[in-house]
Amino acid sequence: MANTPINRLIEAFHRLPGIGPKSAQRFAYYVLRAPEEEARDLADALIEVKRSVVLCQRCQNLTDKNPCWICLDESRNRTIICVVEEPLDVQAIERSGGFNGLYHVLHGVISPSDGVGPEELKISELLIRIRDIDKEIIEIIVATNPNLEGEATSMYLAKLLQPLDLSVTRLARGLPAGADLEYADDVTLGRALEYRQKV
Amino acid sequence: MHLTRLSLTNIRTYERLELELERGIHVIAGENASGKSNLLDAVAMLATTRSQRGGHDIDLIRWQALRDETLPGGRIVGEIDKRDGQTTLEIAVVASENDSDANRRTSRRFRVNAVARRASDLIGQLRVVMFSAEDLTIISGSPSGRRRYLDLTISQFDPTYVRASQRYSRVLQQRNSLLRRLREHHGSLDELDFWDDELTTAGSVIFQARAATLTRLGQDAAIRYPTLGSPNEKLSVRYKPALPVALIQNVPRDEFESDFRSAIEEGRQQDVWKGGTQIGPHRDDIEFQISGRDAAVSASRGQQRTAALALRLSEVALSCEITGDPPVLLLDDMLSELDANHRKRVIETAYEVDQVLITTPDFDRPTASELPDAIRYRLVMGTLNRAEESL
Ligand SMILES: [Zn+2]
Repeated sequence: MANTPINRLIEAFHRLPGIGPKSAQRFAYYVLRAPEEEARDLADALIEVKRSVVLCQRCQNLTDKNPCWICLDESRNRTIICVVEEPLDVQAIERSGGFNGLYHVLHGVISPSDGVGPEELKISELLIRIRDIDKEIIEIIVATNPNLEGEATSMYLAKLLQPLDLSVTRLARGLPAGADLEYADDVTLGRALEYRQKV
Repeated sequence: MHLTRLSLTNIRTYERLELELERGIHVIAGENASGKSNLLDAVAMLATTRSQRGGHDIDLIRWQALRDETLPGGRIVGEIDKRDGQTTLEIAVVASENDSDANRRTSRRFRVNAVARRASDLIGQLRVVMFSAEDLTIISGSPSGRRRYLDLTISQFDPTYVRASQRYSRVLQQRNSLLRRLREHHGSLDELDFWDDELTTAGSVIFQARAATLTRLGQDAAIRYPTLGSPNEKLSVRYKPALPVALIQNVPRDEFESDFRSAIEEGRQQDVWKGGTQIGPHRDDIEFQISGRDAAVSASRGQQRTAALALRLSEVALSCEITGDPPVLLLDDMLSELDANHRKRVIETAYEVDQVLITTPDFDRPTASELPDAIRYRLVMGTLNRAEESL
């Protein structure tokens, strides 16, 4: 493919996860036909997200303020942390309205075949946080997905946290096996949180 | 049980095939490479979700569709009439949009009665026993072929086995990856705890189901073998689990599981060193002996064929016994390979079940006197025509 501006754009879209060559072409031609303002908005949003979004030093969630607004919100229950795989899971749980505590984002799950062990996750950050920053914590809810890797992660965390004087719980079985938290409906997710169980 | 309808869309050589089926024996005549085996393989896929000949899912989709369509996909639909009513099964294989055919990914969708389900919900709704000329490779081929044979057989009547097998293979893959990481000094041995627990839980289900099934199949096949033309020979079938502790049947599952768990834990260091799990059902084998000698090495092809035939006939009997509803028989171009006695035995069995699909290169073989009342078809250029004239 010749290194023309349109081909460079097609290739850039093609690199996005789940986007095939035909979709990439469609996106590129859409941008080409759209008003210049729309293209500029897209470009600005891309640059801004890279410039301003960082990981919260406490919960590791994506944020443009550090610490993030959830970590700073004094009206939230500061004795409980919900540990999730990805930032999108925080959004899903917030949407469900079933939880008012703090979060911790692992940025992945234990999956040796993807080269991910405990050291690749934000687990040491969680330990430091419980020890030094959020000292009032009494319960950790491990809300990893109900699949093999999610279970491996939750078992690992439960073992690791055992010596600390904490209650470690897991989301209730309401979530269908193999389902993604991100796609669970709000009622199911709310109920899974409410009826969480000891690991 | 029997199939009442089969529909193929963009599956291997078939652009579109619609077939109404009834009880009884169906003979499908077609030249070599006319796609008659593809038809039986598609039926077998409805039973097990796996192609009997292995290979990649992408190969299931008709190549012209792969070439011409943006999101090409193949679809197999079957309607089954069984003791407890009608069921519709559907398997769809869809190729993803990608740069080249070589690295196209595929995904599968399963439906039971038009509702999206997992593969494990579909497996065993239809049960089949496939007889083919390659059956002797169960005896003479590789251990992995024999494990595949066991999986395809047991999964059709044991849903627990299906779920355990799926979980086992995912756990094994993760555990082996972790072992290689540990070999390169990433992480610590206690990261194996979870995977070892899961491996032994799922693995125990597999071990015990295989042991139980092979005992029954083996006993039945041993009775059949001498009646198939070799009255003075003796067939024995022995399960060889890849396990250091003696696998004793009827040991309570939790007791067996804890023995297996300790064996896995003792082998950790060895596993790390080798970069792979050394014991477990993924290394099982079956040993066939004819009159005391290993049939894989020292039996003739004729003996191997007979042993495989005995095993298939036992499979039909076991499937009937466990479920009370006979499986659909698929005879893939194999009757012509058999001697008169074996032919007679297979045809006898064919009349004991509700439905049989037979492929043959010759329209008038097997003959009408061998298969009275058979419904005959000619397969030409991917189209199946029912022959109105009876033989
Ligand atoms: Zn935060």
